[in-house]
Amino acid sequence: MTRLLELQVVTKHFGGLYALGGLDLHVDEGEIVSVIGPNGAGKSTMFNVITGLYEPDEGDVRFRDSSVVGLRPNQITRLGIARTFQTVHLFPNMTILENAMVGQHCRTKTGVFGAVVHTPRARREEAQIREKAREALDFFGSRLAGYRQDQPAFALSYANRRRLEMARAMATEPTILLLDEPTAGMNPRETLELRDLIVRMRDERGLTVLLIEHDMRVVKGVSDRVVALDYGRKIAEGSYEEVANNEQVIEAYLGTKAVG
Amino acid sequence: MATEPSAPAKTVQMSRFERLPWRKVILTALSVAIVAFVVVGAWKTLTLPAGERFSAASWRDFVILGLAQGAIIALIALGYTLVYGILRMINFAHGEIFMVGAFASFFFVDAYARSGFLDRHHIPATIIVLFVAMSASVIVAVLLERIAYRPLREAPRLVPLITAIGASLFLQNTFRGFFGSASRGYPRPQVLTGTWPIFGLKIDRMEVVVFVSSAVAMIGLSLFVSRTLTGKSMRAVSEDRDIASLMGIDVDRVVVTTFAIGGMLAGIAAVLFSFTFEQVNFLMGARPGIAAFTAAVLGGIGSIGGAALGGFTLGLLQSLGPALLLTGYGVPSPFQLKDAFTFLVLVLVLVFRPGGLLGTGEAEKV
Amino acid sequence: MEGLRVRSYIRAGLVGGIVAIYLMLEGLVERFGELNLIGDQVTLGRVLLALPPAVAAFVVMRPRTEAGRLVQPERRAGTVGGALTGLVTGGVMAVALLWADWFGIDRVRAVFVAASPALVEFLTFGRTIVTGALILLSVGVISGALGGVARTTDPGLRRPLTAGLSALIVFGLLQRVIPIAMVEIGLTPDWLYSPITKGLTWEGAAVVFVVAVAASIFWERRGRALRAELRAASDERPSVKFSVFLVLLAIAAVLPLLLGAVVSEVLGQVMIFMLLGLGLNIVVGFAGLLDLGYVAFFAFGAYTCALLTGATLNTTTGAAAPALSFHLSFYIAVWIVALLAAGLGVLIGAPVLRLRGDYLAIVTLGLGEIVSILTTSNWLQPIIGGAQGMRGVTKAQIGILNFQDNPQHFYYLGLAFVLLALFVSWRLSASRIGRAWNAMREDEQVADAMGINTTRFKLLAFAMGGAIGSVGGALFAVNLGSLTPASFVIFVSITALAVVILGGLGSLPGVIVGALVLIGLPGLLREFEEYRLLIYGGTLVAIMVLRPQGLVPNVRRMRELKEDERSQDAWAQAQAGADDGVAAEEPA
Repeated sequence: MTRLLELQVVTKHFGGLYALGGLDLHVDEGEIVSVIGPNGAGKSTMFNVITGLYEPDEGDVRFRDSSVVGLRPNQITRLGIARTFQTVHLFPNMTILENAMVGQHCRTKTGVFGAVVHTPRARREEAQIREKAREALDFFGSRLAGYRQDQPAFALSYANRRRLEMARAMATEPTILLLDEPTAGMNPRETLELRDLIVRMRDERGLTVLLIEHDMRVVKGVSDRVVALDYGRKIAEGSYEEVANNEQVIEAYLGTKAVG
Repeated sequence: MATEPSAPAKTVQMSRFERLPWRKVILTALSVAIVAFVVVGAWKTLTLPAGERFSAASWRDFVILGLAQGAIIALIALGYTLVYGILRMINFAHGEIFMVGAFASFFFVDAYARSGFLDRHHIPATIIVLFVAMSASVIVAVLLERIAYRPLREAPRLVPLITAIGASLFLQNTFRGFFGSASRGYPRPQVLTGTWPIFGLKIDRMEVVVFVSSAVAMIGLSLFVSRTLTGKSMRAVSEDRDIASLMGIDVDRVVVTTFAIGGMLAGIAAVLFSFTFEQVNFLMGARPGIAAFTAAVLGGIGSIGGAALGGFTLGLLQSLGPALLLTGYGVPSPFQLKDAFTFLVLVLVLVFRPGGLLGTGEAEKV
Repeated sequence: MEGLRVRSYIRAGLVGGIVAIYLMLEGLVERFGELNLIGDQVTLGRVLLALPPAVAAFVVMRPRTEAGRLVQPERRAGTVGGALTGLVTGGVMAVALLWADWFGIDRVRAVFVAASPALVEFLTFGRTIVTGALILLSVGVISGALGGVARTTDPGLRRPLTAGLSALIVFGLLQRVIPIAMVEIGLTPDWLYSPITKGLTWEGAAVVFVVAVAASIFWERRGRALRAELRAASDERPSVKFSVFLVLLAIAAVLPLLLGAVVSEVLGQVMIFMLLGLGLNIVVGFAGLLDLGYVAFFAFGAYTCALLTGATLNTTTGAAAPALSFHLSFYIAVWIVALLAAGLGVLIGAPVLRLRGDYLAIVTLGLGEIVSILTTSNWLQPIIGGAQGMRGVTKAQIGILNFQDNPQHFYYLGLAFVLLALFVSWRLSASRIGRAWNAMREDEQVADAMGINTTRFKLLAFAMGGAIGSVGGALFAVNLGSLTPASFVIFVSITALAVVILGGLGSLPGVIVGALVLIGLPGLLREFEEYRLLIYGGTLVAIMVLRPQGLVPNVRRMRELKEDERSQDAWAQAQAGADDGVAAEEPA
């Protein structure tokens, strides 16, 4: 099993605040790994470090066994790491289809000449972009299909916006997909639907998934492995049951019992 | 609608070429080139043969001149920095607020000079002139905020900037229409011509007055912002507008006050500037405005101390820069390029150190 | 009569009065007093006097929320309220007039240069001061009442009337253009435009008014439906869109022949600024980078073209050869210029484009000013002529077409380049590159995270914009034949920006409209020339505050929204109920 993504002793601080303090984490190909932890544990910061928005102060992030530290986010995406955001960041005035098509940007090369003159290669690429974008949107069924694809993204409902963000990330044809709290704000029915979709992402589309989640039903239902963070460090790792029953994890979430 | 697994994209590797931090390389090369240019230029100028070289006295004069002009620039820069601190916008029309003060006070100064009042009772006359300039600038500043900026407070950042540019153009040409395009002579009180002996040097009286008045104004402002309730409200609003309003601060009122204070300082600067150069015209706000903005950025925009520091620094750069750097390279008429020099400083500061001298060295993250 | 808000009326009236006084002191009223719109009684100056009370009344009578409901004032309240507002405005004007007379108009002129006896003459309509004051007062009351009525009238009635009045003003303003065109076609314009007053005749005005009103009514009833049909047709069959474009192109091609040499001169300028607008549109409109130093590329293009085609330096003793000189044909030089400018754009852009919006604006402003100063400097005089400039730029002749001496020919040269720039812009905006620019504009960090190399695309936009701007400069040089630094000042950058913003950021038809209005109008009407910058400044402020999307906004977005309402309903009906409960449904 190839080790796709590895974080080695990653440390990141902002002024005096240590968001990540010596984090070790790995994801192997084909896995679905969930990262849990109380708020402020550094989960989103970890994503930002992996995808190049921040540079770690210490430690290394390796993808396919070569370091990606210091690369710009667009280079990292091109390597095959795609992500969604904790608060949805779509391109609100672009249509749904266009949002998805943006994802295909890093897989195409048409330059000014091709764009202006419409060379056969440019036309082929444009068709490919459309097709791949549609493929990504179709993964979410009728929600993002049909007439809707020409609607501006700001017209979407909240749940559909989250789905679109995932479709856009999938359109970049990633090897590993980072999902930041994908079910936040969804109702129970939508949450369960998404849980199944995540598993299908791996089974049908061959994606490896690293996700941050708070909803334990989802974590339980999709994860091959669960990693628990607190104060920027890993405090537990294993199957869902192992981690859920780990004393340190329970303490991190609930605090210790009051001394009676 | 694929239902079979599609193969993941083939492994993409990153070449060593692409991994180079290009930006850092270019910027480092650029900074080395600039430092070299400055050092070599200065050395060449200072080692020119005795006939072509500037005398020590000239350099002294340049420095004093730079400090005096820097004082005026600092006063105007404070207006930019205060507004930027509160609204995070550049009031491009601030140079015109300065110009309005000059023009309004012109009519009074002119009348007083003609009647002799200016020289007989120069202190009350100057006070009145200052008052007129300050009032005019304040009125225009407040109107500007109310009409052009307040409706756009929540708009994306570029919109108020474009509006400010339009307002600047509009004000310039409004005053051209009102008062004509010719320059008008702005009389200086007799008592301010000539020199005073200070520390054994003969220093222009006007320069001394400019320096002292500006210093007093800046100290006053600093005390105001740190000691009074309004000043504290201003600081609160500049930290976080929404929270400040939740704490019961009337944000609109604070914004208006900020513009008004900026206007007052611009009015003072206007009188000092006009006395120094003895003329006013409708374009007079343009270059000083950019210079002041440069100074504010140079010192660290949003910071009062920064504006002051930036102002004096820029004044010195303006008076010393072309002389010191360009003469050595044999550039004819280097003083022609004084404004170009200012702009170059602006560009370099923003490229290399957008936070300014007192800033952290990094631009604000969006 | 319910809803009389006296205090609002007085306040609006005072504001109107201040605006009126402003117009008087700026000299606008008097200057435009010579411009006859209809007959010789309705001059633009007089219209300007009547506007402040009417507009003040119009604004103050707008529907307001009262106790949670939107309340539209009644017609009667509108009339009275409007009249009251207008009375205040007229009162202010009258008082100003009386005071100026009492104080002595010459003493006022010591401060405000526009306050002259001629102005007084104008304001009193040639009669005594007191009569004048009374006339101003009545003008105020009547205009105010009309403004109030207009606001409180049913739109079905108001729109045709507004259309009629606007048509009158437009036709009045185009008095230097339309008669010439009519003569070219072979019609006699004398019934429409009086050869004596130069403005519309009363008969002509009546015809224009009636036709405009009829057209407006037709548009309300049938026109909208027709346009939607045409749109739908053009979507299905692109050939329809293409034919529309061909028609517009034919009109553009025929204009100089129709309108004569003088107007063609102006049109040539319009073409140059259209080109500049298109270039800046790529930088500001597509990529969202506010560039205030566009004059740098314009100057670069002009001077480089001059140097490449063998122009000489202007000196006090005659002509001198520049330090660098080549003698290429314009048609080779122009591409070299574009390439060099693109390179320059990359060079300048690399350190600068990572800055945030307003900082970028100021930096580019600084760079533009540096270039401006350098054009007049003694330092660069050996190359580009310093304060005296250069002369002898190539005429770019092809056969009998002389683009420098013949304004009609130059228009075609300019048109050719504009069409090229339009084509390139259009193709780019619809491509992957345009999508990348859109994404960067909406959210730069996220676009970066999605795999778009934002630095590269910013540089691309800057370079392309620079290339187009420099071609504009080259055309400018050819047109004039000689260059002076006075042409390369910040106002060029601001004009280009105003053109783009007035039309609508990112909108190609918008740039065309913007250039026509902002360059064409002052060019055609000399009276506007003096107030050009004032108008630009006011336009920028007004557009940003009132209609930031511009006059001809990017239609695609707006259209999709409207169309989607229809198609969404249709789809929803077809899918009735199928959308709910799709928890585990397979993708369709």
